[in-house]
Amino acid sequence: MANKQLYWKGEEELLRTKEFLAAQKNEFNEALPLDEVFAENETLGLSSNRRDFLKFFGFSVAAVSLAACNKTPVRNVIPYLVKPEEITPGVANYYNSTCGICSVGCGINVKTREGRPIKIDGNYHSPVSKGALCATGQASVLSLYDTERLAGPARPNKDSKEKFDILEWSKIDAEVTKKLTEIQAAGGKIAIVTPTIHSPSSLSVINDFKTKYTNTVHVTQDAVSYSGILQANRDSFGKQVVPTYRFEKAMVVVSFGADYLGTWLSSTEYTNGWAAARKVEGNNKMSRTIQFESNLSLSGTNADYRFPMKSSQEAIYVTALYNALAQKAGVAQLPMVQTGELAGGAIKQSADALWNEKGSSLVISGSNDPKIQTVINGINILLTNYGTTIDLDNHSNQYKGIDAEFAQFTTDLSNGAYQGVIFWNTNPVYNSASSAAIAAGIKKTKLSVSFATTADETALECQYIATDNHYLESWGDSEPLAGSYHFMQPTITPVFDTRQAQESLLVWAGVVVDKSKDPFTNKEILNQNKDVDMYYLYMRNLWAAMGIVGDEAFNKVLHDGVHIMPSKATTVPAFSVALNSIVADLEKTIGKKDAMDLILYQNISVKDGALNNNPWVQEMPDPMSKVTWDNYVSLPKAFAMSQGIENGDTVNVTVGNNTLKDMPVYIQPGQSNMTAGIALGYGRKGKLGQKGLFESIGQNAFPFVSTQNGTQNLVINGVKIVKSEAKYVLAQTQTHHSIEGRDLVRETTFDKYHKDPTAGNNKPAPHLYTLWETKEYKKEGAPNHHWAMAIDLNSCTGCGSCVVSCSIENNVPVVGREEVRRRREMHWIRIDRYFTFENRNNVDYTKELFLSRDYEGKNITKETGLEAVDKLEAKNKDAQFLHWENVKVVHQPMMCQHCGQAPCETVCPVLATTHSSEGINQMTYNRCIGTKYCANNCPYKVRRFNWFRYNDNDKFDFHFNNDLGKMVINPDVTVRTRGVMEKCSMCVQSIQSAKIKAKRERKQLGGNDVKTACQRSCPAGAIVFGDVNDPNSEIAKLFKNERSYRVLEELNTQTAVKYLTKVRNVEETTA
Amino acid sequence: MCIKYFNIEIFIDIFADSLEMSFFSHKHMVKNRNKSHMQVKSFLIAFLLFLNLNLSAQPAGKPLGPEASKGEALFKANCTSCHSMSSKGVGPALQGVVGRHSSEEWLVKWIRNNEKLRASGDKEAIAVFNNNGQASMNVFENLSEAEVKTIITYFKEWTPAAPPTPPVGGTPQGGFFTDSTLYILLFLIVVLIVVLLILRKTKNSLKATANALDEPEEAEEPTNFQKKIAELKKRSNPTIVKLLLTVLILGGLATYGFIFGVTEIAVQQGYAPEQPIKFSHKIHAGEYKIDCKYCHTTTEKSKQASIPGLNTCMNCHKGVQARDKYNGEISPEIKKIYAAMDYDPEKPNGEQYGPNPQPIKWVRIHNLPDHAVFNHSMHVKGAQLSCQTCHGPIQEMAVVEQYSTLQMGWCINCHRESNIDVENNPYYEELHAKIKAEKGNANSPYSKYYTKEGKINVTAAQNGALECSKCHY
Repeated sequence: MANKQLYWKGEEELLRTKEFLAAQKNEFNEALPLDEVFAENETLGLSSNRRDFLKFFGFSVAAVSLAACNKTPVRNVIPYLVKPEEITPGVANYYNSTCGICSVGCGINVKTREGRPIKIDGNYHSPVSKGALCATGQASVLSLYDTERLAGPARPNKDSKEKFDILEWSKIDAEVTKKLTEIQAAGGKIAIVTPTIHSPSSLSVINDFKTKYTNTVHVTQDAVSYSGILQANRDSFGKQVVPTYRFEKAMVVVSFGADYLGTWLSSTEYTNGWAAARKVEGNNKMSRTIQFESNLSLSGTNADYRFPMKSSQEAIYVTALYNALAQKAGVAQLPMVQTGELAGGAIKQSADALWNEKGSSLVISGSNDPKIQTVINGINILLTNYGTTIDLDNHSNQYKGIDAEFAQFTTDLSNGAYQGVIFWNTNPVYNSASSAAIAAGIKKTKLSVSFATTADETALECQYIATDNHYLESWGDSEPLAGSYHFMQPTITPVFDTRQAQESLLVWAGVVVDKSKDPFTNKEILNQNKDVDMYYLYMRNLWAAMGIVGDEAFNKVLHDGVHIMPSKATTVPAFSVALNSIVADLEKTIGKKDAMDLILYQNISVKDGALNNNPWVQEMPDPMSKVTWDNYVSLPKAFAMSQGIENGDTVNVTVGNNTLKDMPVYIQPGQSNMTAGIALGYGRKGKLGQKGLFESIGQNAFPFVSTQNGTQNLVINGVKIVKSEAKYVLAQTQTHHSIEGRDLVRETTFDKYHKDPTAGNNKPAPHLYTLWETKEYKKEGAPNHHWAMAIDLNSCTGCGSCVVSCSIENNVPVVGREEVRRRREMHWIRIDRYFTFENRNNVDYTKELFLSRDYEGKNITKETGLEAVDKLEAKNKDAQFLHWENVKVVHQPMMCQHCGQAPCETVCPVLATTHSSEGINQMTYNRCIGTKYCANNCPYKVRRFNWFRYNDNDKFDFHFNNDLGKMVINPDVTVRTRGVMEKCSMCVQSIQSAKIKAKRERKQLGGNDVKTACQRSCPAGAIVFGDVNDPNSEIAKLFKNERSYRVLEELNTQTAVKYLTKVRNVEETTA
Repeated sequence: MCIKYFNIEIFIDIFADSLEMSFFSHKHMVKNRNKSHMQVKSFLIAFLLFLNLNLSAQPAGKPLGPEASKGEALFKANCTSCHSMSSKGVGPALQGVVGRHSSEEWLVKWIRNNEKLRASGDKEAIAVFNNNGQASMNVFENLSEAEVKTIITYFKEWTPAAPPTPPVGGTPQGGFFTDSTLYILLFLIVVLIVVLLILRKTKNSLKATANALDEPEEAEEPTNFQKKIAELKKRSNPTIVKLLLTVLILGGLATYGFIFGVTEIAVQQGYAPEQPIKFSHKIHAGEYKIDCKYCHTTTEKSKQASIPGLNTCMNCHKGVQARDKYNGEISPEIKKIYAAMDYDPEKPNGEQYGPNPQPIKWVRIHNLPDHAVFNHSMHVKGAQLSCQTCHGPIQEMAVVEQYSTLQMGWCINCHRESNIDVENNPYYEELHAKIKAEKGNANSPYSKYYTKEGKINVTAAQNGALECSKCHY
């Protein structure tokens, strides 16, 4: 094909390394690990030979037969004594609540079974989550059943730093209150340290506490702060707020290092808006996104134009853009000496695009420097974006922490200015640069309390841990966006003897909540026997006093999870900064051009590290690098080549006095030259007191965080990266399940699409000869269901929310780092990430390097491949690899395609995988004997073999193998044991339950009535599932869409999954 | 010589169990656990009866006249959920109730419609109402005056059951005959003697027959067939024959083992374990005809039929205490409910139960493996099957047993044989329309849905009920 682009998944595939070629040829990379099993039993004097194997085998058969002679075990069933009216065993209940993992505060919908939460999805009523949820939020349900949680209020043990004693609440209350009273009497200062709180009732609790203990200060610390934006808006407009960004209205988005689709501010909300602005069907316009960045981010991979930037030079880029726009607007330009490099005509191109969409464009920056953010404000003012894409009136409350205030607190604490300190939902000993100073400061106080749920780094320094509830056990309210109130309600009674932090504060402040009268009706509460939660009544009282909702309405808002006030009229604020005055400060931020930059960032799953010990979060492959279970230094290819660093090497990273030793390296295509990236949130100790699997995953990069213009700075200029001796293999999934460079992803440009909707979607002629008859459900007008799925590559950002959602819904086991290294990850849905070089400067780098399937006219074999590699290696010695910073990326979710004519079904010797009359490729675990033929024969590489009994094996201490963790298992889905093949079932349990519901209620089942887990979680709405045979269903329409295609259509597998061509809004270059 | 029936029954149970243990294979143990147990047990009981033991139940109160018997039946049907003769339930105890009130006529009026009586301003009625905590009693206008009078006659004739009679004749406690193990020994000795006698007789008769047959016969010319056999015997290698025979026998054994062993591993048909509370479906579903769904409330909503919470039991058993069967004491089984709920029947306290409840650990009878899904609501509400289809005559089971095999073949078979009501369930509207449209078209794939008589007949199997992921996911 003429316009065929060549895609590759990883460096090893592009460069055809020997290891890759060897591994690629086998579906399963290793033989059975028998040696290992025998080696483990060495104490028994066993060695691994055939005779021993036979002995084992014989013994096992005999043992099993003997065991089978036992009586069938007696199973008990214990019903409720008093069955709660709202619970029907076997039927799920759903509650709307609010996610409490970060201060973004997404509205969530919690699925509970028999009183225990097992799945979290987004709440459709919530303007923040808009019905979807990020991977971290999804995974947080497991933290509820974490065995690491403290079982009650605790005190660190005096003798051992890693142990703690569980106390009684009455004891802790008495001791804390006594100390607080003493401090108050002596006029001592008390600090309550929290991340951003936008809950009206929590703030009111803090105020009540302040009333009792008058010298109390509330300090806000955000682990990754947005102080720069807050201060810039205070300086520019007199409003110290983060605005609400309306991506759905933004037709041109220019972002300087802000990963708005990944981790910047409220990314779930923005992804939804971004996807809406990029819908091509029936639209004359599609948004254009331009990204300047150093690390390859999710927003960068999805941008129409991505320009590499050296982040320490951002001020130059930003002022250049300001000046280009000022020129168009006819206002004065900034006197800035442009010493740095600028990416070709990128700034001019951006300025033109922005000016064309004046009023409906958006410029944002990920920098936390208030001066840079002030220039950004200036740019948006020039573009008249305020009131349309940027809303300061209905602003966000999600981040309110001012770094200077926290810095002041740190200084005061370490100077002994505080007699009491209370840490609530924050962990500064881990997640701040001044960790040592805080730890030392805590020791100087008379009273130190942490509300942590686990014995985290800060809690271990404190005198008391007044263990907080998990957010799924708590009451609460919040106001993430001004005027949109979100409510939190408990979905389970507390698992342990814990107490909500707010309640602890109320008890210590001696606040008495009237339990006898209903605040709304002022009537006696009749049923005094029910143990009404103190904080719930406090919250009710507050809401009654606020007068926003009445009694009936209060129950309704709890039901809906949100209460949305009418939004305020937007105004255009007056910009009150003379930009000339900050030029000097701006110039100070510019780093040295020839010094390496280190960009600290949050990755998609682990974020700031609060959920570092959550196995679902750890096992989700990073969308850009596909690395699991570790953080690493991402390096540009050019730098790595110049230093002789390869993947698998480690480096020592030094900034000032801080060094991270032996950090594993990942050479990241797309990493800007002279920059490196390290993810925050790693390096936390878990499973304290025992050498568990979670013993410090990755390394902590928070000590590298610096301060610039008074705010937290994550861009460090002048980092030393030196290759070290050690080797480290990252558990990376990128080229597992390689599919050999076939035509799998399709893309086109918006212009081409506009002329011809089938652009880029060249249908190959399928093999027509087939073994099968046309199945009944596929015929026109068939009365059966025909379940199918469509995935819009144009909307999919690759965020991985679906991966975690699928794992939770389908009890997919977590296998751990070591197993991932062996290509044994179990995820039923993976997101393939394809790179292709940008053909800038009219050089087709891909052709130069890429060895296609037909290398020099021959199909590649191992031998010719190796030969080619040798040739390339010789050639590559002289290459500069500078162009590796320019890559384009496509994300493609890949799961079982449910082929109508399935290659896997024909090869199964025991008919364990069969086809249903509704188009589903069924996998029957109880029939499977594990021959793995199906996986070998699957062209999509989507079948996963279950190697171990993950649910009952101490080697896989993740969540299935302890009683508490097993609470999260979905009871509607089998927990697979070892030796069976498993794969995406299209959430057949949801299909079945929807069908049964329709049958017993005697009504028809609509084509849109069933939603799969991946579909529910997708913030971009990229996944649509339904019944194709229902002409009114969304899926039926998408199947007829001109952009739709089947992967490997030429094989005539007739898949039930279709993809929609990716459309990039780029200008055509006539090359 | 008087031993309470339920005391010795425990011993009989244990002994019957141990007999089974020694006589029956594992498979039989599981499959026919209940049946064989019952057989052995009844045999034992017969034996004990033979030894002239007094196994009869408690003596009843004085016999009732025909009128009072009618009244008793009506009383049990209408009143016992709230009243007991001897003790306070929801309503007061009714012993001597006739004497407590002004006249029988008043009592008839009160029973038939106490509300009307109270509304009419009858002082006595209002006093009764107030004295009983203003708990309003149901109206029984469906009963005629004559019927109510029979109930009153029953009240009058009713006498409390006699207290348990002390052991007669001062039989020494702990003496020779009171120790039931001795009966068992005795019984065994008798059985042994009988067996020995029979064996001896058989042996003798066999010997006699053999002697009779041993008369020497004339040697006959071997037949053609016999010759051939002899030739074969000569030609064949004895080792190979032995081997072949061994293989045959072993193969046969293996097949037998497979058919009766492997295919029935974990099949628990007939499994009827003893439950912590001897709840009888025979009484509740059989005699009182309580609808299954009254207790198993979730059958129509959920995949699980669910064992009811004990609060469901308490709905009735706060009042129904079966004291008349236990000498004025609360039934020991009902007491177990109270104990579980930590409920004091002497001090009823509305909906409130005590602070120390103890959940009941029922023994699960119907066990499906984890990878098999069975949805009750689909079958009960969707397919409108009766509970008995799978659970058998549950209304006759004093002890519930597993009636069906619950094997996959059993499921599949039913799916093959059962029809779907495509005409009346809108879920199948499209399918039904399609079938109707294709009527008479023999080549149509939809022709399979017609019977020879031309009637629409869609089996569950035809609609995909044999597909794996209907039940396995």
